Amino acid sequence: MNPPISYIQKLLLTAAFVSLSLNAQPRTGARQLPDAPARDLVQRVCGATCHGPEIIVGKGMGRDQWLATVNSMVSRGAKIADAEFPQVLDYLVANFPVRAANPGPPRPGGGGLTPGADDHHVVDPTASARGKTVYIAECITCHGVKARGGDGPQGGADLVRSLVVLKDRYGSTVSAFLTKGHPMQSGRPSSGLTSEQTLDLAHYLHDKVGDTLRSGPYNKILNVLTGDAKAGAQYFNGAGGCNQCHSVTGDLKGIGGKYDPPTLQAKFLFPRVVGFGRRPGGAGLSTAKPVTVTVTPANGPAVNGVLDRLDDFNVSLKDSEGEYRSFKRTKDLKVEKHDPYQVHADLLDVYTDKNMHDIVAYLEGLK
Amino acid sequence: MNPILAISLLTTCAFGQGLIPSKLLEPPTDSWPMYNGDYSGRRFSTLKKINDQNVGSMSLAWVYRITAPGGIKATPLVLDGIMYFTVPDHVWAIDARTGREIWHYTWASKGGIHIGNRGVGIYGKWLYFETPDCNLVSLNLKDGKERWHKPICELDQMYFGSTAPLIVKNHVIVGVSGDDLDVPGYIESHNPETGDLEWRWYAHPQPGSEEAKSWPSVESMLHGGGMVWGATTYDPELNLIYFGTGNPQPVIAGKGRIGDNLYTESIVAVNPDTGKLKWWFQPSPHDTHDWDAIQTAVLIDGEINGQKRKLVAQASRNGYFFVLDRATGKNIVTSKFTKANWAKGIDAKGQPIPDEAKYPQTDGALVAPNQAGAANWPPPSFSPDTGLFYINAANAYSVYYIFDDDPKPEGWGGNDRGGFSEGMLQAIDYKTGKIRWSHKWEGPGGPRNGVLSTAGNLVFAGDPSNNFIALNAKTGTALWHANLAQPMSNAPITFEMDGTQYVVVGTGDTMWSFAMNAK
Repeated sequence: MNPPISYIQKLLLTAAFVSLSLNAQPRTGARQLPDAPARDLVQRVCGATCHGPEIIVGKGMGRDQWLATVNSMVSRGAKIADAEFPQVLDYLVANFPVRAANPGPPRPGGGGLTPGADDHHVVDPTASARGKTVYIAECITCHGVKARGGDGPQGGADLVRSLVVLKDRYGSTVSAFLTKGHPMQSGRPSSGLTSEQTLDLAHYLHDKVGDTLRSGPYNKILNVLTGDAKAGAQYFNGAGGCNQCHSVTGDLKGIGGKYDPPTLQAKFLFPRVVGFGRRPGGAGLSTAKPVTVTVTPANGPAVNGVLDRLDDFNVSLKDSEGEYRSFKRTKDLKVEKHDPYQVHADLLDVYTDKNMHDIVAYLEGLK
Repeated sequence: MNPILAISLLTTCAFGQGLIPSKLLEPPTDSWPMYNGDYSGRRFSTLKKINDQNVGSMSLAWVYRITAPGGIKATPLVLDGIMYFTVPDHVWAIDARTGREIWHYTWASKGGIHIGNRGVGIYGKWLYFETPDCNLVSLNLKDGKERWHKPICELDQMYFGSTAPLIVKNHVIVGVSGDDLDVPGYIESHNPETGDLEWRWYAHPQPGSEEAKSWPSVESMLHGGGMVWGATTYDPELNLIYFGTGNPQPVIAGKGRIGDNLYTESIVAVNPDTGKLKWWFQPSPHDTHDWDAIQTAVLIDGEINGQKRKLVAQASRNGYFFVLDRATGKNIVTSKFTKANWAKGIDAKGQPIPDEAKYPQTDGALVAPNQAGAANWPPPSFSPDTGLFYINAANAYSVYYIFDDDPKPEGWGGNDRGGFSEGMLQAIDYKTGKIRWSHKWEGPGGPRNGVLSTAGNLVFAGDPSNNFIALNAKTGTALWHANLAQPMSNAPITFEMDGTQYVVVGTGDTMWSFAMNAK
């Protein structure tokens, strides 16, 4: 049997072919994606329709964040086949890692989805770590653990929102501010800080600003294991009707060992969005089941296959022999779509959040 | 003066002197002189040479491909046979007859988010646009040479520019974007000649006012967001501009800003000469789902219970459709136009009441619509012929999480994950909010593109399978389509030139022009 080609994948291939033939003119001035395996794939999936490649080029993130980003883009309509998901992810992780202290030359002529100025302060993690010791010694009592300001009338300003910090470049305004004199915990004059210390402090404060951004390190799911496994089992075998298609001793055997809880939660809610994080040594990528279609012409036999594309005007599929077939939609052409995950989509209208968390707790226990 | 002479003088002046502001008060036929076509935001054209009887024969006139990064989200402006449009940092003037480039201007950027640019505004012989690095730039219409540029926001606070300036009398009205840091949103007016700032309206009340009680503190209010990044409409009789404001800050984690958070997530009416607020109505009190209420506030001169009314309508990102009296802001209709599970009722003012259980949670809350929304920035359309409000919409779910459980979260503090989305074109009866017809789009996800309606009983829209489609405005039946290989990325426009009606649409890096050009 042929490996199932998802509807989305075929759509991509079709779109790519057409766009190749149209793209006769060179894209001058575009920020190009680095040449590496899967570059063309990433260009096609991520850099062609909603935004250009320049938006990716401006980014630098860890694997978890790229994973979340790609998932998020898929849910917003990015067209990516199941098998392509890991290729895209690997490419982004390898080529756009967490930004190093030196980001390279500034963006020529703009581009990217990075907020702020091109000449923004780039944090040196080592200097930031030194700056943290200055902060703890002299600032933390008034300005707080996260530099978001202190409580009460004695509370210091929110430094993440401070223009002195936001406008700063390598101590330029932070240093000028402290030189003028500002109370410190030790009682020493702030003008007594060395220029190295104020620079380190500036690095640390910019680091704190970075922590609040969407690209910051804390943008991850904290804990979804809050449900009642017993209630989850009841729902699974009762009102949810999950056991009508699934078995915890069959297809779902050991599922709790294969996926981390946030992945489990996402998988049963949105099974067509794939490629979630797995525990080390866990199962490989599961492939979402394709949508199939039965097309019955007025005078011909019914044709079954994996749905390639369906719109108001045409329908196309790959039949069991792997042959591509397409039909113009007319009144006399019967088209029946079968989505194996339709019941999951229908359940979105039904689940309570408690049901959702109970199911996760139940599935997590299936080791 | 003899009215006929006045009109002919006006027409002559309009041709010879670029675009005189009074021209903007006429319904466009030979031009598309501002973002929404006219001040009402209806995106309805009285042209009917292309209509439900003959649209099947509409065919390609020309194609223009840009040579710069970024997709075309701009609505092109058309004036005197020339088309002007943008992507971030770039402006083009092309011949509307042939698609031939006349000039191309490039701005040397100092940064900012390059997610999209909605287009230009034109006043006299000058053109205005915003840059991602927070500048309002004025160019000469004829050659694209820069006249001046003025700052409109601060990059260091992570604002950026993306909206299309609107010309109202002798004001250039511009909004700002940016939701990375907790900064206040605003809209401001500049002098079209000098570029000088005339007024700025912040999306928050004055400290000490009754409305300021919708925030727990002055600090939270002055850092409370509410970017004005959608389109603005204008009623010359009432002398009010109408626009929506964006999400409050911090975006997702709302526990540091308990309250309704005025004037974020609001439809507001402001005097264009002074920047003074006349009224507000809030589609999403205390939003925690990033559902900017910046969708066009469409002006409808309609009839409710047999009485002629000046109305304003919005199909909001949160899944609700609102009709208000545009003189007073009083609510007339509140209804859902997609799935929405986040409100536990409607208050006496007609505003949805958010359900705390559907606020983002550390373990997740399953919410409809998703963050992309029931609708987003792509413009809707209203046809006075059918009385229907058309919006490309999505039934969508995702799970909203709190990532930052700090008592004082900042920035975003959470996000949504995963998702399910299916798209459809909704035709809403403005008098009742009921869906008259719904045209479901097959194919993955919801489409992200705008709508145009015409007196030819047509609605133009895009589907998720890259088709550009003309539908019967009364019934929603598809009458014509062309597959453009890329999704439609802006909103279509129409205008008449040399006796021929054109329909123009953008897809990614390509502008397509269609016409009845069998000859």
